[in-house]
Amino acid sequence: MKTTEKINIRFPQTLAEALRLQARKNTRGTLLAGGTDLMVQWASGTPPPARATSLWNLPELCEIEVRDDDILIGAGVTHAFLGEAKPIHRHLPALIAAAATVGAIQIQARGTLGGNAANASPAGDTAPALLITGGDVLLASLDGTREVPLDEFWTGYRQIAARPDEIILAFRLPKKGSAKERFRKIGARKAQAISKIMAASRIRVRSGRILSAAIALGSVAPTPIRLTQVEALLTGQALTPSLVAQAEKLAQTSVKPIADIRSSAEYRRWVAGRLVRDALENL
Amino acid sequence: MSTITRTWKVNGKPIKVRAPAGRRLLDYLRDDLGLIGAKEGCGEGECGACTVLIDNEPMVSCIVPVGQLADGTEILTIEGVEKKRAGRLLQQAYLECGAVQCGFCIPGMIISSYALLPKNPKPPTQAIRPPLSGNLCRCTG
Repeated sequence: MKTTEKINIRFPQTLAEALRLQARKNTRGTLLAGGTDLMVQWASGTPPPARATSLWNLPELCEIEVRDDDILIGAGVTHAFLGEAKPIHRHLPALIAAAATVGAIQIQARGTLGGNAANASPAGDTAPALLITGGDVLLASLDGTREVPLDEFWTGYRQIAARPDEIILAFRLPKKGSAKERFRKIGARKAQAISKIMAASRIRVRSGRILSAAIALGSVAPTPIRLTQVEALLTGQALTPSLVAQAEKLAQTSVKPIADIRSSAEYRRWVAGRLVRDALENL
Repeated sequence: MSTITRTWKVNGKPIKVRAPAGRRLLDYLRDDLGLIGAKEGCGEGECGACTVLIDNEPMVSCIVPVGQLADGTEILTIEGVEKKRAGRLLQQAYLECGAVQCGFCIPGMIISSYALLPKNPKPPTQAIRPPLSGNLCRCTG
C-alpha cells in the first residue's frame, strides 16, 4: 500500500462542516487542498498524517468578489482560475503573473492560492505578489472570522499565523489603483522550476516622484519579505538614476539569503539588487 | 485509511470506484482499471508523463487522491484520446515529425496537446510552448 492510501481523508461538503472537523483535536486533520505540495511530500519520505481534511472544491472557498477598493479571493481558487478571471487582472497584475509561473498548467489547475500561502515555503511564487498589496488573510474558525495582515502571516520558516482550528477563508487584496506592478521570477527554466529568487513590486509615481513603494522578495529569507528599508528610502523621493543605484545597493545589503541546491547566497544577494533596479527602471 | 465510493466516467464509460481515498489517481488507472497509458515518471508532479484530462483540464494524476474526484467526474486518458479524431491526428503528427524517441513522455505530451486544441485550434509555435511546458522529455532535453 502506498503511503498516501493509509491516510484517513475526510471530505466535508461545506465550510461549516470543515470548521467543525477542525475544531476538535480528535477529528482535526492536515488541511489538503490541491495536493501539489502535500501529496508530493507524503510520497517522498515525509511521514503522512493519520488524518487529512480535504478542502478541494469547497464552494465557500472558491469565490472571487470584486469590490470598490479591494478584491476578495477565496483560498480555494486555483492558479489556473486566476488566469481565467480576466476582470481582476488589471487590478492585481503581479499576482496574476505570479500565478502563471507556478509549476506548469497541470499544477496550476490543482494548486490553490490558499495552499500556496499555507505551505509557507519561502519560494512560494504567489507570496511576494500578495505581500505588496498590503492586504489581509481571512482566517475562519467556529469562533468566527479574523483578519491577519499579510505582513504578519508568515511567522517563520514554514510557519503561519493560523491556529490549528483555523482555515484560510480568503485573501482581501487592495486594488493597485494608479500604481504600477511588476513580478519577476528567476528560476533554472521558465516552467516547472522552483524559484531561485523572485520579486514583486507595487510602486506609485507622480510627476517623477515616488509616492509609495511596496517591494517584496521570495527565497531570500526564511519567509517571503517586504524590503521595508528600500521602501523607506524610495518613498517621497524623485526617481533618479542615483536613487535607483542606492536602492539596488540597499536591497543587496538588507537581505540575508542562504545557499541551497537551487542557488548560492551570493547570486541571490546580487540578483535581489538587480530585481529592485528592474522594478524601478520599468515604471 | 478511509474508503470512498464514487461514480466517474473514464474514457466515456461509467465506472464505479471503490478505493482508499488517498490512492493516487495514477495508481487507480493503472492498477485497478488496467489503463497503463499514463506513465509514472517522477511521481512528484514534475514530469507530466502521468497527465490525464480531469473534466477537460490536464492534471498530473500522480498527485491527485481519488477521494477528491466527485461523482460525475469525467476522466480522459490516452486510451480514450486515441479513439477521438483529433487524438489520432495528433498521434500521426507526432510520428511524422519524428517527435518520439523512447516514447515514455508521449502519452502526456499528446494529452496536453489535445487539451490545447479546443482553446486554440491553430496555435503558432509560441502558443504551444506554455501548455506543453509541464511535460518533460529526457531524450531530447
